[in-house]
Amino acid sequence: MAEQKGEEFVRKMMRWHFSPETGSPFWLKRAETLDFDPLTDVRDFDDLGLFPNVVDELRDVAVRDLIPQGYGDGLEASVYESGGTTGEPKRVVFAAEWHRRSVEWFSERLDEHGVPRNVDWLSAVPTGPHNVGAMAVDTAALRGGLNFAIDLDPRWVKKLLADGHMDMASAYTDHLIEQIGFVLSSQDVGVLFATPPMLDRLAQRDDLVELVNRKVRTIIWGGTHLDADTRDLLRDEVFPNTKLVGGYGSTMMLGTSVERPGLGADEPCVFDSFAPYTTFRVVDPETGRVVPYGERGQVIVHHMSRTALLVNNAERDFATRIAPATDGFGDSLADVAPVESFSGAPVIEGVY
Amino acid sequence: MLFLDALGPNGPYRSRRQETIPDLAGNPIATLSLVPPLYVTRAMKALHRAPVMPLDARIAALAEAGRAFATQRVAGLTAEEYQRTVSAATGTPITTVRGATADIARAAERIHHSMQNARPAGAVDSWRDPLTRGGRAVWTRRGDVFAVHAAGNHPSVHQGWLDAVALGYRVAVRPSRREAFTPHRLVTALREAGFGEDRIVLLPTDHQAADEILRHADLGIVYGGDDVMRKYADDPRILPQGPGRSKVLITAEADWEPIVDTIVESISSGGGVGCVNATGVLVEGDPTPVAAALAERLAALPSLPPSDDRAVLPVMPIGPARRWEEGLRQRAADTKAWLGGDGILDDLGDGTAVLRPAVHQLDSPFDAQLGMELGFPCAWVAPWDREAGIRPLRGTLVLTAVTTDEDLIDALVAEPTIGNVYIGDHPTPWMAPGLPHDGYLADFLMRTKTVLR
Repeated sequence: MAEQKGEEFVRKMMRWHFSPETGSPFWLKRAETLDFDPLTDVRDFDDLGLFPNVVDELRDVAVRDLIPQGYGDGLEASVYESGGTTGEPKRVVFAAEWHRRSVEWFSERLDEHGVPRNVDWLSAVPTGPHNVGAMAVDTAALRGGLNFAIDLDPRWVKKLLADGHMDMASAYTDHLIEQIGFVLSSQDVGVLFATPPMLDRLAQRDDLVELVNRKVRTIIWGGTHLDADTRDLLRDEVFPNTKLVGGYGSTMMLGTSVERPGLGADEPCVFDSFAPYTTFRVVDPETGRVVPYGERGQVIVHHMSRTALLVNNAERDFATRIAPATDGFGDSLADVAPVESFSGAPVIEGVY
Repeated sequence: MLFLDALGPNGPYRSRRQETIPDLAGNPIATLSLVPPLYVTRAMKALHRAPVMPLDARIAALAEAGRAFATQRVAGLTAEEYQRTVSAATGTPITTVRGATADIARAAERIHHSMQNARPAGAVDSWRDPLTRGGRAVWTRRGDVFAVHAAGNHPSVHQGWLDAVALGYRVAVRPSRREAFTPHRLVTALREAGFGEDRIVLLPTDHQAADEILRHADLGIVYGGDDVMRKYADDPRILPQGPGRSKVLITAEADWEPIVDTIVESISSGGGVGCVNATGVLVEGDPTPVAAALAERLAALPSLPPSDDRAVLPVMPIGPARRWEEGLRQRAADTKAWLGGDGILDDLGDGTAVLRPAVHQLDSPFDAQLGMELGFPCAWVAPWDREAGIRPLRGTLVLTAVTTDEDLIDALVAEPTIGNVYIGDHPTPWMAPGLPHDGYLADFLMRTKTVLR
């Protein structure tokens, strides 16, 4: 049943993105160079492997060419950019309907984790051109909260780290921690949304740790990976009064995946994607074949919705392949960790 | 399988991220817990909070830990089992490991004597000393927490930071990932002898987290190559410990034949892996007969597995050993090979090889090879004359000078970049508790201040 639904969904998406009336100028033009016909040859999730990885083209394509013409005039949309970890930033367009749906899904997952509604958020995640900041504002609002935002420029930090200016990167992080401190000490914050490096740094400040344990009921982390040992320490020793919920997402995924609720303390953090729109595959990077459940491989991300088609995108990360929670679309991921270099460029995570 | 846990402020810590330590043949013998940066920062904070133990208690606990380290079951291993493990993991001859065990124990037992030797003659240990009533220098710490990025080339490296413990520093040791056995055993023994869990910690980490250890310490010592020396050259908080480039100098009027054994010992004792092993041998006049004699003696050293009681040479897995050999071949290209010219490997047939000694003759004391320090007995023999002077002798940890020329000795002792000068028939690896190895560590850890009451 799920399989049939999946095939139906994939074919529907192919029709949307490759019909002259609805497809984007980018994909309609790009389709001419493909050695297969998306309308007839792509019938289910496995066929998405036929597509080339086009994310590198998103560094210089005119962003209006990415908008599916099926939206017609008067489309509400926003442009978001990647963090530029592996070169010039990449750009995508989020239609308002997609962003809203993505926020709703995120919020539903937070409900499953028992994250309180009607509390205010403090979000120490990148804003500006990055989607995660908007996601924080709108998720907080949807759940009846206000959002206090910390302005965080991940590209600047990565540049400092790449150039070996560890002291300046450290000073910038201290500056961000100070901003967090101002909000934490003066406001009633129920949810803290931050990147693992920020939490690491926060954990070094006893006064702020005390404030978090007293006020904050949920910490949502995402943006960079969090190794299992650090996660244990944060959960059990540093922030024992607070629940930790992880997210794994990226701008090129056009959203996020969220930690599976209900797992035990000794189990790894498993990420379930927003299927069928966002799906994962874990493959052997040499052969491209899907690895067996429980084994590690490179993460391949598919995004397929009316707002965008970005499939067969090999992420910089490696993960353990886990059976999906429901519906059977794609894989779930555990123990996500970045590779040490990506497309020849060393990966620098920075504070984001 | 042996578990080498991190030793943190709340006891042993076994991380999920573990690294396997193999023996030379590649069989896993231990797993090392690598801690994340957050663990490091929390452990370092705990060190800063920990109260200082009184001096007498420190001295007593050090002595007890030294005895336990050398003779008792510590962290599940007898001393014999520990020594066999180190030898199997690193290829260091078993007798060298036994010698290092005894040296570490002796250093711990005689630590008070070492401290007193390092203290400036005019300074007292405490403001309570009656001498401060008239105004007196008091010897005090420059900080509270000391970090050690240890090397894995020789177990005796860990003797070095015991001074910091004695002086009241709280100490964080980041072990070499290949030879974490010695610091794990020593830190365990110290903790059990009375230092508890929050005064001395063992933090195995990857490179990224390693920087965190230094960042959160008041002072630190870092072992490494020239790159490490450069990296920390301008950091007043860090004492970098680089290659030793120890040397032997024989002047024309000295008779070299009776001391050939001493030179051989300088080059090869302890497997030739130490910074105190001689790499350069400078001879006034024709160095050829000296090179020939050294080559003959060193060629006679047996090739044996490191576990053999008669083993004296280092052993490595065959792959890395070949790379060392190739490295030597490239560096020695334009020199005259007396020993090792056809290669230095002796394949033991079990995936490992003995690294045999090499002796090369150089044309000039200014040839760059003179300072080339490798992980096996390897000597560069060069001519020297008064015109060359002390310039080729600079940058030397231990210099054995076989000479009667007192003006020359004056110059050598005065030269700031020569660490230690042994005059006459003494091997470069000679050491004794209470004498500085590369200056007293206390010179870096302590300062004097006037107290008047």
